Formats: sequence, C-alpha cells, structure tokens
Amino acid sequence: MSKVIEQPRYSCALGAEQTVVAIRRAVPVLHSGPGCCNKITSLIGQGEAYAGGSTIPCTNSNERDVVFGGVDKLRSVVKGALQVIDADLYVILTGCTASIVGDDIDSVAQEFRSAGKPVVCAETGGFKTNNYRSHETVVNAVIDQYVDAHRAEGGVQKGLVNVFATVPYQDPYWNGNLAELKRVLDGIGLKANILFGQESGGLPEWKNIPNAEFNIVASSWVGLGIAEHLKKKYGTPYLHFPYLPVGGLETSRFLRQVAEFGKLDKKRAEDFIGREERKFYSFLERMADFLLEFRYGLPRRFYTILDASYAVGFAKYLVNELGILPARQFVVDNTPEEFRDEVRGEFAHLSDRRSAPVEFETDGGVIQQKIREDENKTRALILGSGWDRDLAKDLNADLLILSVPVEYRLVLNCGYAGYNGGLRVIEDLYDRVLGTYR
Amino acid sequence: MAKKLKQIAIYGKGGIGKSTTTSNISAALSKMGYKVMQFGCDPKSDSTNTLRKGEYIPTVLDTLREKGSVKANEVIFEGFNGIYCVEAGGPAPGVGCAGRGIITAVQLFRQQKVFEDLDLDFIIYDVLGDVVCGGFAMPIREGIAEHVFTVSSSDFMSVYAANNLFKGIQKYSNSGGALLGGIIANSINHQYSKDIIDDFAAQTKTQVVEYVPRSVTVTQCELQGKTTIEGAPDSEQAKIYTRLAEKIAAHEVSHTPSPLSTTDLRQWASKWSKQILAAESRSIAGAC
Ligand SMILES: Nc1ncnc2c1ncn2[C@@H]1O[C@H](COP(=O)(O)OP(=O)(O)OP(=O)(O)O)[C@@H](O)[C@H]1O
Ligand SMILES: [Mg+2]
Repeated sequence: MSKVIEQPRYSCALGAEQTVVAIRRAVPVLHSGPGCCNKITSLIGQGEAYAGGSTIPCTNSNERDVVFGGVDKLRSVVKGALQVIDADLYVILTGCTASIVGDDIDSVAQEFRSAGKPVVCAETGGFKTNNYRSHETVVNAVIDQYVDAHRAEGGVQKGLVNVFATVPYQDPYWNGNLAELKRVLDGIGLKANILFGQESGGLPEWKNIPNAEFNIVASSWVGLGIAEHLKKKYGTPYLHFPYLPVGGLETSRFLRQVAEFGKLDKKRAEDFIGREERKFYSFLERMADFLLEFRYGLPRRFYTILDASYAVGFAKYLVNELGILPARQFVVDNTPEEFRDEVRGEFAHLSDRRSAPVEFETDGGVIQQKIREDENKTRALILGSGWDRDLAKDLNADLLILSVPVEYRLVLNCGYAGYNGGLRVIEDLYDRVLGTYR
Repeated sequence: MAKKLKQIAIYGKGGIGKSTTTSNISAALSKMGYKVMQFGCDPKSDSTNTLRKGEYIPTVLDTLREKGSVKANEVIFEGFNGIYCVEAGGPAPGVGCAGRGIITAVQLFRQQKVFEDLDLDFIIYDVLGDVVCGGFAMPIREGIAEHVFTVSSSDFMSVYAANNLFKGIQKYSNSGGALLGGIIANSINHQYSKDIIDDFAAQTKTQVVEYVPRSVTVTQCELQGKTTIEGAPDSEQAKIYTRLAEKIAAHEVSHTPSPLSTTDLRQWASKWSKQILAAESRSIAGAC
C-alpha cells in the first residue's frame, strides 16, 4: 500500500499554475477538475494576483470530459479567457484527469497560436511529479512555444543574464528574493532578468531570455533543468550557485563567483561588494552593545524544515554570521537523488569547523515527531512553516516561518536573500525573541 | 418464485465473432421464451445490428453527451422477437476514455434498476475485443456479470487474447468477480483447429462449450441484417447456435481458469505450430 505523507510542504505538479501567476500579464488556463486550484493556492499562495486563485479560468472537467475527451471544452474556455481576461500570455495546464485521458492539448494551443493568439500549454497532471519539477516544465514550455517565436532582436547582449533562483509562491518570499538578487547583480554591472514579479520586466524580459550572455541558477537544484535546456537550445552557458545566498559572507561569495564566471570588470564588482558589506555590517556595529548583552537570550540551536536551497542558505548564515548552531536538519523538497550528495556536502562544510548531518524527509509528521524526541534542553529556533507553530509552542521554541504554508504572516515584498535579506533575518529573529519578553 | 436474472459477458479478440455469436445466442434464447437484453459494450456500437435489420441505435453515451442525462428507456430499443438492445457507445476514435465510457453506461443502468423492472432472464454483455484497460473489465468485476464466455478460434492471436482474459478473471475472482463458463470455439472447420482449442481448454482447466463452424449462411444472413436464427432458422448453423444457447441457459457453475504464463503460452504455441507444419509437409509430400 502506498504510504500517507502528512503535511507535505509542496504541491502536486499543477502547482506550477503559480509560476504563471507570477509572470506579469500572464494567465494560467487550467484543464482540470473543479477545486484543484483552490487547494493549491491555499497551500502555496497568498493573494490571487492578476488572475490566480479562485479567478483562474478552468474547464472544471467532469465525467463527460473524461469519456469523450475534454478538448472541446478546453477550446471554449481558452476562447472565453481570451475575450474576458486582458493578458499577454495564456498558459494551458492539465490536471490529473486530462493527463490520464490524454487530451491533445498541444493541438489546441497550436490552433490558437496559428490564429495569432499567445497560447502555450504544458502537461502538469498532478500525479506526474511535484511543483518544483513542473515549474521547470512550465518555464521551458513558455520558452519553446512563446519566447522562441518572439525572440527580441539584437542577438546575445553583453552583461545580460537570466536568474533562476526560486519557485514563485512555493518560495513565499520569491518576490523580495528576486528583487534583491537583481539589485546586487545589477550592482556588479550586469543586467539581470528575473522574469517573475513586480521588479521584473514581464514578457518583454522573457523575449530576451535567448539573448542572455549567461544564466545563473541560484538554487540547489530547481532551475538546473531550465538552464540545461537553454544551454542546449541557445548555447547559453550557466553558473550554478547551489543555495540561496543570505547575508554578507554568502552574498559576497555569490557575487564574486558570478563576476569571475562572467569575466566582469573586477574593480567595479569589488567596489560594489565593499560598499554593500560596509553598509551591511554598519547596522550590526551600531547594535553591537545590544547584540552582545542579549546574546544569551537568543536561541542556541536551530532546526530546519525547509527546501534544499533555503536550508543550506540559512544554515550557512546562522552558523557563520550569527553563531547559532545546527540541531537536526530536514530537507523537505523531495530532492532528486542525483542532487542529494551535493546538499550533504554543503552541510558537511557549513564552516571550517562546523558540519551537520542532513535528512531528506517529505513527511512533516515524521519530522515533527523526531524534533519532539530530541533533547531540547536549550532554547531552539525552528525554521519551518505555519504548520510548525504548535510544535514551536510545545517546545517553547522560536519559529521563523520561511516555508509554505505561511498562514500566520502576510508577505508583501519581504525577502531573505542577499545583504538586505540577511539584515531582515536578524530583525525577524529578534522580533520573535523579544516578543516573548514581558 | 422470483426468477433469477443471469448476466453473461462475452469476450474475445477483436473481429473473432463475438457480436455474431452473442446476437445468435440472444435470438435463440428469446425464441426459447426467455426475456433477453443484449448490451453492446463497444464504442463501435454495432453489437446489436443483426438484431435490428442492420440498423444502428442511439447509444447511452451519445444520449448522455447530447442531453446531459439519460433515462434508461430512452436508449433501450426492441429488436428481433422483443430482445432489448442497448449500445453503450463511446467517444470518437482517438479521444477521451472509452473504458470510462463503459463504466459510466453500465453504472447508469444499474442505478436506475432497469434490469429488475424489465423482468429479464438474461443480460448478455458483448464487450470490445481486447481488454485494454480497467473500463473494459467492468462487466467481469463484482456484481455485474457472473459468467464469462470467450469466443475464440484456434488462431494463436485469438488464444492469446483468451489467455489474457483468463488472467483478468483470475485477478478479480477473489473479489466477487465473474468466473469463466468456458470457451465458445468459433470458425472450427478442421480437426486440428478443434485439437488446438481442446488442448488450450485442458491446459487452462476450462471447457469448450460449443464448436461453431465457419459458415456462409452466417454471412448471407448478416448481409440481410439478420442473425442466423432469424434469417435461416432451419439451417444446420442455426441448430448449432440453438444448442449453444441451450447449454448457456442450463449453465450454472463457472470456475476460475488457470491461465498460462507468457513463457508457457509461447512454448505451447510453438509446440503446436511445429506439429501443424509437420502435418502439412506430410500432406504436401503425399500429394506429389
Ligand atoms: N461462424 C462464422 N461463420 C461465418 N462468418 C462469421 C462467423 N463468425 C463471425 N463471422 C464473421 O466475422 C465478422 C466479424 O464478426 P463479429 O463482428 O461478430 O466479430 P466481433 O468479435 O464482434 O468483432 P469486434 O471485436 O470488431 O466487435 C463478421 O462479418 C461475421 O459475419
Ligand atoms: Mg463486435
């Protein structure tokens, strides 16, 4: 019998609808049963954005669409969406039923494209995989079926890069993270396409994807499938930085690797890095008295219940810059086998002296049980999701909600990547701790 | 005493003669005085044609598609001698899920309790050639048919299909599914064909219910849109179909077959092809 997974921290493949929602003026069109998208957005969404959540066009397919195929209904829903929703790109995504029945969605998308409409499609039947994987599927589908035909003129541009760093909404802080990565990459002399969110240039930016000088994957593994695809398709080389850079040390390391890979003007890059570091550490210096006096009030150990990119990025920052030590580390994104050794390697070398074993576990219930059974003698910090609130309460631990479902906080432009993100971590951490004082 | 409804499913390789055989069984049973429904479970929806002068009837699923709901009496049509004819229908070739269509159509009938209301003695399901997915196994699953008969010639492909069906029956046999009544051997005009099918029945621990020869009478009647029972009631072929129907009416207990494994089946087939080859070269040599 198949095993029940309690509280998985990601969604089914159809969750990639959120990838589309995050592209400015793009709209997902779901060919799925009614309710799928509500379930998904309640797990990995906050805010419906332009046409997400319960406003997504959907075929609401039923038994009749199974027996006779749902292609006709899909066609009429796309037609309706084109009339009713003002957008620049429509992305058809299949749910389980349509994928099992084998509806020929390609030909539907093709029909609309032949009529000059920007319609693309991707197979995201829920049973196929999860939303990390299907994020790549959807991005690649947009590249193949839309970007390729509308490639911006001018060929490869010096200094233009595409950044693949987070999965929108699966990473609740995706918008803030991408904005900060763009800021620092632009700072060292690049022009960064971040493709998603308010700070991106929307679809004109997508049309420029093939013109990038190189691509940057700042993530443990998600996004490599896109960078590989672009390498094959357009010959674009890519740099893989295997976690989310958080704080002074790691962001500088990240930028230096990028500068070297892209053979950027070294002085310009170092000037920027120097300026940013001075700013970053000046805030800490200003608080030195407080931070020193308060050091015993901080949690001493941290538990991680995060995806691989966040887990490594936060562990490095907490260990190396804040002096908090790793307790048990759980990576919850169902990291594909071929990338696990690299994640283990990162945890083995968190710093020169510190390492931590890491466990790959997708079952939130199992993880919480293991943490409960741990010693828990000293005050702990839990890096997890809204679902870990009861656990934190029971252990008198501080909880930083970094993963979906967020539930108990509102996210606007907050991000934890980069120099600014590092400061934000400290603010939020002290906020939790000070909040427990009377 | 309330009479007991007997539900029978006929399976077999595509084109082997299921619909022809089923329609003749239905016709013969009805002439014997039984109330019969023939339920075509095939998207081609041609199962009951020879019961209705070659006419196609609106199918359950077409009606469902057009109207959104179906009342059973809208899709039951009377054919030869008052036989109730139903065609499940299905999607256009290449789209949708025909298997789900069969499930939908059969469930729709069961929910409406039509079978009880019509006071039937027999329902015979004529199921599409190859059991390609779960939907086509519907009639052998719990609570639908209780007896399965397979129509097979002595061709190996047909025997393979029968063996696959036996695997399906075996699989569902523990959960109240239908059991095997036996093999209806069709197009058996030679002794070696009879030997092959007899051997296969012995190997798989089942029986051959009847040997039906290939006969031009069947073709002639079909061309007039009739079963042999209707079109040539006094023919030798009609007598055979009647005898088959009588055996089915009398049939009470079915069994779980013992299908051959894929390797055993291949070995079995190659043993037979060697024998046939040897026999043929002997007869060619004899003719010289
Ligand atoms: N015993 C027979 N003698 C002569 N012709 C036969 C005999 N049995 C079947 N046929 C002919 O073989 C053809 C196929 O038969 P039929 O349509 O009954 O097969 P089927 O198994 O129902 O096919 P399908 O799987 O396509 O539904 C028909 O033209 C039918 O007349
Ligand atoms: Mg037939």
